[in-house]
Order: sequence, then structure tokens, then C-alpha cells
Amino acid sequence: MKAARLLLALALLNAAAPVRAQAPENAVKAAFLPRFARYVTWPTPPAAGAPFQLCVVGHDPFGPMLDRAASSELIDGHNVAVRRMNTADRAAGCQLAFVAGASPQDTTRLLLALRSQAILTITDARAGPQRGMIHFTIVAGRVRFFIDDAEAAGRGLSISSRLLALAAGVRARR
Amino acid sequence: MTNRRFAFLLLGSAAIAWPDARAAAQDASAPAPLPASVPALAPGGEDLSQLSIEELAQLPVRSASKREEPLSQAPTALYVITGDDIVNSAADSLPEALRLAPNLNVQQINGHEYAISARGFNSVETANKLLVLIDGRSIYSTLHSGVFWDLRTPMLEDIDQIEVISGPGGTLYGPNAVNGVINIATRDASETIGGLLRGTAGTFEQSAAARFGVALGGSGALRVYGNWFNFDDHQPAGIGPVGLRDRFHGWRAGFRSDFATERDHFTLQGDIFDNQVESLPNDGNRGQNVLGRWTRALSDNASFEVQAYYDNVDRRYLLSLDSLETVDLESQVNLHAGGHDLVLGGGLRTTRDQFINNLNAFALNPQSRRLWVYNGFIQDRFALTPTLSVIAGVKAEQTSFTGLQFLPNLRVAWHPTEQTLLWAAVSRAVRTPSRVDRQLEFRPLLTGGNFQSEKLVAFEAGYRGQPSRRTSLSVSIFYNRYDDIRTTEFQPGGGLPIQLMNGLEGHSYGVEAWSATQVTPWLRVNLGLSTLWKDFHFKPGHGDIALRDELGHDPDVQLFARAELNPIDRLRMSFSLRRIGALDDSAAEPEIGGYFEADANVNYRLTETLELYVAGNNLLHATHLESNDTSRVKLAERSVYVGARVRF
Repeated sequence: MKAARLLLALALLNAAAPVRAQAPENAVKAAFLPRFARYVTWPTPPAAGAPFQLCVVGHDPFGPMLDRAASSELIDGHNVAVRRMNTADRAAGCQLAFVAGASPQDTTRLLLALRSQAILTITDARAGPQRGMIHFTIVAGRVRFFIDDAEAAGRGLSISSRLLALAAGVRARR
Repeated sequence: MTNRRFAFLLLGSAAIAWPDARAAAQDASAPAPLPASVPALAPGGEDLSQLSIEELAQLPVRSASKREEPLSQAPTALYVITGDDIVNSAADSLPEALRLAPNLNVQQINGHEYAISARGFNSVETANKLLVLIDGRSIYSTLHSGVFWDLRTPMLEDIDQIEVISGPGGTLYGPNAVNGVINIATRDASETIGGLLRGTAGTFEQSAAARFGVALGGSGALRVYGNWFNFDDHQPAGIGPVGLRDRFHGWRAGFRSDFATERDHFTLQGDIFDNQVESLPNDGNRGQNVLGRWTRALSDNASFEVQAYYDNVDRRYLLSLDSLETVDLESQVNLHAGGHDLVLGGGLRTTRDQFINNLNAFALNPQSRRLWVYNGFIQDRFALTPTLSVIAGVKAEQTSFTGLQFLPNLRVAWHPTEQTLLWAAVSRAVRTPSRVDRQLEFRPLLTGGNFQSEKLVAFEAGYRGQPSRRTSLSVSIFYNRYDDIRTTEFQPGGGLPIQLMNGLEGHSYGVEAWSATQVTPWLRVNLGLSTLWKDFHFKPGHGDIALRDELGHDPDVQLFARAELNPIDRLRMSFSLRRIGALDDSAAEPEIGGYFEADANVNYRLTETLELYVAGNNLLHATHLESNDTSRVKLAERSVYVGARVRF
């Protein structure tokens, strides 16, 4: 009970100290996703007036948060449109794909099925260890990511140094 | 202390079923009950779309309180304890964390010993039908097929999730998955970058832990950790040993590294530990292990995995020394084509053990032995219709003590809607003989015999789904038919030597159910229930001088309720209440009545990096008894502690 009193005292003591409100983890990830398009160059960018296509392949943990985040992006005159699909065979036309299978094996399956296309693949450590070119993780309570620049280069994608600078780790292009 | 009492205690160390000197998954990868989704709240009024990408990367985040998972496809009675559940509970050790699973019965025996089982047979000596894995490493002892929980003291913050399957594990899990599987997975190293410090102190216990993780290039990460703990002496129970100390303290340290790309995932990890159990000077445990695993996707329809580990443990307890060295190699291939998910694989395990008894004449003959286990398995999951799948698998297993044994299982999974899974299964499982089963001697009274595998045919059915948007629910029923359960008998006709035989058969049945309801965005309520009825009898010509102790001592009903509250951003609380029924079939032992107990944890985030918490276990009574194990039991006690955790 002494302990409880101590905790209470500490809490009161600290009440004046600012603690920044925490954003929900998934909301921050959803905010990142359309934003990535600004920092990547595709071999064939979308046609004039056509939107970037941000695809969610497999399980969608974001829901309307992602649509809201995408709708506020305008990149060199292109909007960002969100498409959702269960399988990889309808991914033609996607520039970015957030990939989350029902199981780790399923995630790998989806990633490999996207390999033949110039799509920036994004995965989340929460869903499993399988990594796309960008792999979300949490570092000291913040959303960060690993970048596989070698894999991106192999598909003809170029990731800007500004994005690479934010990565927790980069697998460099050879 | 009388010699007889000491004999009991030694039996404790050997953990054998000799109570009186008078005489199994399917989609392991697919996690758990679907949590009701939490509506996204606007983060402190900040509009994320106005932030630069650098600002986004600096924004403190609040983790989703539960993982959002697609409805698990696994047609088994599967409960998942998440790492978040553990950190938000009062649990201060792995066995205490397992109390979160309603399909397990957890009995604290004393400061360092626990008996944990699913679907019955619980006691230290008879909880021998469970497979327990930590990151793919099997941790039940080949000495008696039980688990020495005092060898398992992981840093709880590292645990990603614990899958608890009640019922046979099916084809894909290793040996001994008869009544259940506990599959403990620690976090991938890429999820533990940065530092964490934790300290606790309380009426009964203290702990300190540190972890540090770094990224290794763009595809790898490494963490190292160290963990120290102390649990004080428990009070004598009256029915248990007098004057036996059980203070438990020690440390554990280790590392885990993971490297991953689109195609490959490589893991290398290891631990080292040393702890003391203060029954006699120098009593305690130490060990080391190292494990490597490589998973590679060969194409989008095929992958393989190979895993190898080495594990060594030494236990010193009451003048006996028990050591076990394990080398294990396993491999599997997954193929996916035309509606079929095919898994095939095999494994090879060899153990070298030694059991030295300086206390009395109980001994293993030979004192040291190498044992082998080989197995091969194949399983296919195929879709009959888009909503109906059949899983058929068979495992073949051979050990140094048995011929080739076949363990088939057949499961049906029906998804009438996205939110509903109905399943049914029939499976066969065996508990192969342990060293004690075959080679325990007390000459000339007791000699090793020809003990055969204990056998189970299990019939199960269940429902899992989301009956409403806010509630997830799982209900399963089982009917288990057992044969060749262990007995301790004189020779036919009544002469010596006494031997361990397979004289019991019978059945058990029960219901397991649990739900999680997101009542409001800040209140989640979890309820759980498990029941068990047992009916066993001797096979013709058999009896048991151990008075059917092998069947364990189980509650007929367990009820669980847990509320998780998050009323304001900084404050998280959990309160749990459990009602454990009276232990059954205590013919020769003191009666243990049913009891209510409660645990609580209140966690306050003082700054972005520092959280403080107060936690309490067994809050309703100063002391209570959870077991009637007269050779080991001490009182479970109320314990209150404060803790601080820093993440940077």
C-alpha cells in the first residue's frame, strides 16, 4: 500500500510534465503508406492525371484510416487511390502494395507473386518476419521501418535518400 | 525428517509416479481468436496528414491493445496469450502467465515448482502428456515426460505470444502432444530494437531485467538480454514437507538475431541460465541452449524450413543430479497447389541423460543413456468447397523404447461466413515411454518392465467466431478415450518385483469456452470456462498400488473473468478473478477445496519512456493451497509488488 501511495505521489508530481499524446500505431502506419509514394521513383510512373495505386493485398488492418490518409495526398498532380484485394493476381497497376497474408507462409506467397512487377512492397513486423522492401517495426515507441534497397533496385525502383535516412536499417543496393 | 519423508522428497526430484513408499496443429502459424476491432481514435487532435515524414517517424505511438488478426483457420481448441496480455497482467513468471489461458490448469506447488496440464492428469508427476515448445525447442524432460518449469525463466517482455492448444496437437507438432501443446514464441529481433530496463520489488519478490536491440543492416537485427529474479520462501502448508526451504533465485541471459528478406528468414538464438533452489546448499539448475532456423521460399508455391538446436540442463535437487543433453534436427516442406496445402517433414532427436541418486536406492538402470526419437509426417489441407476444408495427416514416430507408431488425424473446417468457423476432429496420440516408465528400479522391490505407450483417441468439435462485432467467442467440446494408462503393480499372482504397467483405461470429456468483448473502447472483458469429467477403470487382471495417482488431481470446473481497462491514455489496468474447483480423486491425499483468487495490475505511463506499475497476485487470501502433493507443496501466498519499466 506504501507502494501505491508512492505511485500516486509520483503521478501527481508528474501531472504538470507534458506527455505527448500517443497516436494509434496503425493510424501512423496508415499515414506513412501513401506518403511513401513521394520518395520513390518508378520505372513507369502513373499516366498524367491517373492516381498512384496503393494496394492492400491480403488482410487489411487499417480500414477507413487508410482511405482518409490517402485522400489527403497529392503527389505531382497525382492522387493516391486505395485498392484492396485478397490475392496477388489482380495487382497489375499497383505502385505500392501493403502485403499481409493470413499466415507467414501466406505473406511470403503473396510477396513472391508480386516479384515480377515494379511494385514497392510493404510489410509489418507485427504480421510476421517476412519482409517486403519496406518493413514496419517499432523502435523506442515510434513507427520505423527497414528498407531493402537492394530488392527495390532489382525491380527498377529508386528510393530517395530522405526516406533511406529514416530507416532503422538499410540493405544497400550493390 | 524421517527416511520415509526423504524418500518422498527424492521422488520429487526424480518426479516419478510413485506416490507412496508402501508400494499434439494444424496451422500453427495462424494465430488466434479474432479480437473485436478498436475504433481508431483521433490522436490527440493532431492531424497526421499535416506532419512531415520525419515528424511521423518521431511520433510516439500507442500499440493496438490486441493484434488484429484474420479469424484463425486452425480447427483446434486454440487460445492465444499475447505478449501484451502478459505485460498487462500481474504475471511475474512463465507459469503465472499461463494462468491467462482458460484451457490450462495451473497449480503452484511451491516457490519453484508448478504442475500445468490441459484436459486433466495434473500433478507434478503426472502432467506428462503436454508438449511445450519455446521458439521451436521442445522443453519437456525425457526423464518423466513432464516439464520442470524452474528451468524456464524467460524475460516476459520478450514473449510475442503463447499458443495454448488443448487436445492432441495433430500432425505438425512433435512428440508428446497428447493432451495439449504450449507453443511459446519470442519476438523477432526486428521488433525489439532499442533498450528496455525493468525492475520490480515487493513483499515477496524482486526482479531486474535489461534488454538491448540493434539493427544489423537492412535485413537483420540482434537483441541481448539479462534477467535476474528472487522469490522468497513460502510458508509450510501443514500437509507438505516440514522445514523444506523453497526460496528460488537466479539469472538468465541470452540473445536472438533474425535476418529476413522476401525469400529467406534466418534465426539464431541462445540462452544461458543459473538458478538456486534453496532446499539444500548448491541445489539449483543451470543450462545452455542454442538454436538455428532457416526458412526459404523456393517459389510462391513452395517453401522449406530446417531447424537445429542443442540444449543442455543440469538439475541438482536433494542429493540427486539429473542432467539432460538434447540435439534435435528437423525439417519440413510446404507446398501449395490447386486448393491443396501440403506439409511434409521429418525430425530426429537424440538425448543423453544421467540420473545420479545419492539419497536412496531408487535409480535408473542404466544410470546414463542415449535415446533416439525419429518421426516423419505428411498433412494435406484441401478445400472441398470454398467454405469447407478437410485436413488429413499422419505422423509416424519411433523411439528407442517403441516400434513404429502411427498417429493419424482428420479434421474438418467449415467457414459458413467470414466470422464463423465450425470444426470437428478425430485424432490418435500416444505418450511414448520415458526413462522412468521403463528403467526405474528400487532393487529388489521394483524393476524396470515393459511399459508401453499410453494411447489416446480424441473426438473434438468446436465453434470459433465473432457472434457480434464486439465479441469473439470460442467453444469446444471433447471426448477422449484413453488406453494403457500407467499403473504400479505386483507381478500377476501377487509376487515381486513391482513394475510399472499399462493397467488403466477410461475416458474423459468436457467443455472449454472463452470470449473477449470490447464493451467500450476502454473496457475489454474476457471470460473463460473449462470443465472436466473423468471415468477410468482397471483393465482385466490389473490393479494399482499407487491408487490411480496417475490420473492426477484436477478441478472439475474452472471459471475465469478478466477486465482490461484503459480509461485514459496513460493508465492501463487489468483485474482478473478465477474460481478453481475442488481437486478430484484424492483418495490417499488431503482434500483441496475449490477457491476464488484474484490478480491485478495497474500501469501508469509517467513519461514517454517510463512506466510504473503496481501488481498483486492471489489478492483474496493471505495464503491458499493449490495442490495436495504432500511431498512438495507449500502455501501459495498473496504477493504485491511495484515495478518500473523504461524503454528507450
